[in-house]
Amino acid sequence: MKNLKRYFRLYKVLIAQFIKVVLQSKVDFLMGLFGFFFTQVTGIAFLYLIFEQIPSLQGWTLDQLIFIYGFAQLPRGIDHLLTDNIWKVAWWKVVTGEFDQYMLRPMNVFFQVIAEKLQPDALGELLVGIILVIISIPKGILIIDGVHIALFFVSILAGALIYTSIKLFFATMSFWVKRSGPFLQVAYEMADFAKYPIEIYAKPIQFILTYVIPFGFVAYFSASYFLVEKSAFSTIGMECIIAVILWFIAYGYFNYGISKYESAGN
Amino acid sequence: MKKFFKTYLPFTGNEIKRNLAYKGAFYLFVFCSLFGSFISYYLWKAIYGSTDGGAIGGLTQNQMVIYVFMTYVTSSIVKVSISEEVSEDVVKGTVAMNLIKPIDYRFSLIFKGIGSSVYRFLMPGIFVWIGVELYSCLVLHEPFTGIVNLVLYLCSAMFSFFIYVLFDFCFGMIAFFTTYIFGLQMVKSAVLSFLTGELIPLSFFPAVFQKVFDFLPFSSMVYTPVMIYLGKYSGSELMFVLARQVIWIVILYALGSLIWKKVTKRLVVLGG
Repeated sequence: MKNLKRYFRLYKVLIAQFIKVVLQSKVDFLMGLFGFFFTQVTGIAFLYLIFEQIPSLQGWTLDQLIFIYGFAQLPRGIDHLLTDNIWKVAWWKVVTGEFDQYMLRPMNVFFQVIAEKLQPDALGELLVGIILVIISIPKGILIIDGVHIALFFVSILAGALIYTSIKLFFATMSFWVKRSGPFLQVAYEMADFAKYPIEIYAKPIQFILTYVIPFGFVAYFSASYFLVEKSAFSTIGMECIIAVILWFIAYGYFNYGISKYESAGN
Repeated sequence: MKKFFKTYLPFTGNEIKRNLAYKGAFYLFVFCSLFGSFISYYLWKAIYGSTDGGAIGGLTQNQMVIYVFMTYVTSSIVKVSISEEVSEDVVKGTVAMNLIKPIDYRFSLIFKGIGSSVYRFLMPGIFVWIGVELYSCLVLHEPFTGIVNLVLYLCSAMFSFFIYVLFDFCFGMIAFFTTYIFGLQMVKSAVLSFLTGELIPLSFFPAVFQKVFDFLPFSSMVYTPVMIYLGKYSGSELMFVLARQVIWIVILYALGSLIWKKVTKRLVVLGG
């Protein structure tokens, strides 16, 4: 417990430092935010243009798809905000030997990695997600009651954990291959598939999104729980189970990787 | 003229060699970038499945398949980003070295760009293209694309390449005013994927927007060559879209020279 308190205090100190950096360069911050925001906006505009031509997409209406799209941004944004530094481990922290600094301090290594940086660009994604979910509420397409609202937040957190675990897993590969950035990129971009109903894809792709890199649970499966009557267990419940299992695999692998870490250089 | 090519062609050669050196990462990158096309492919399949089977936005389902993958091929050979290099040069100050060398900075970048473009044309461009043709012939039972369309397509894609790099050079000039160009790069690629027709054919836009797009250079970057490939233009219309591409090359070239003159006047590089 005392340990937890210490980490909490450390996190606040480290993040405070980071916020100072951000405030120093406000223009950069705004541009990054705008960049991610705009990327998502084009995705929505795409849906609008499509639905000029068709009434529904495999039984889904425009309003429902917009909710799925927006909902998918929330766990993605949270993970992006908090753990963006994992990318640096994958791309160059290991290969340049910068990772040494984490090994030398008497702190949890994973904690140090994520506490080093907040990614304010992620607010662009979160903003889009929040706006789309809010405009979906008065449309009467969502099932709104106590259980659903509670599970809404549970699902977002579980989704963010799935993202983090997948990122951590592929970043850990860099302890062996030195630079696992490209692999992480491939895995991360798989998430784009899950912005749309995954029934539209061929069977192998559905299989991958459900069982191998389970981004389907981050967005589509759990979003559908709020749209149509479905059992909470097979959607949100599964999402939580998957999130926990993935986390233990990724974190265990990461710790194993650390024990094998060799510094670069001579 | 001969001296010109002798000076700048090595940039092209070097760029091809550089690309060959980092093959592994490149293959993964290609694999990754094809994701987007496959998402579009399945999305369009579902979209056409939700209609009565006719053409939407002026394209039939088979044409849309070709559209999606030819857009991928076209944008991979056309969209060679040089603005990243410009911003890196400016931020690090190495742009000063380029100012004292007896070569034109922009031409050296363009010739490097040609190198990347040629490389991407060979890998993965040609393979994806062959894949598309085989798929459309064997599975969709469409005839092979005619040789005339193919030649016109390559010609138009070459114009597109110049429009894109000249535009991107102007865009890179922003680096003289701000150092964090990453956010702007994202905005650029989002706007371009939309306005060039990469995300959705421009014929899906309301008529008013299409009128506006006629006066912007972006439709000439990807949409025009792909539509030529699909044989959507003929006669005077074909001449018109090609002429428009040439005009944009001239305009963007002039604009680039103008901005370059302006910014190099106020350039201050520290250190030695």
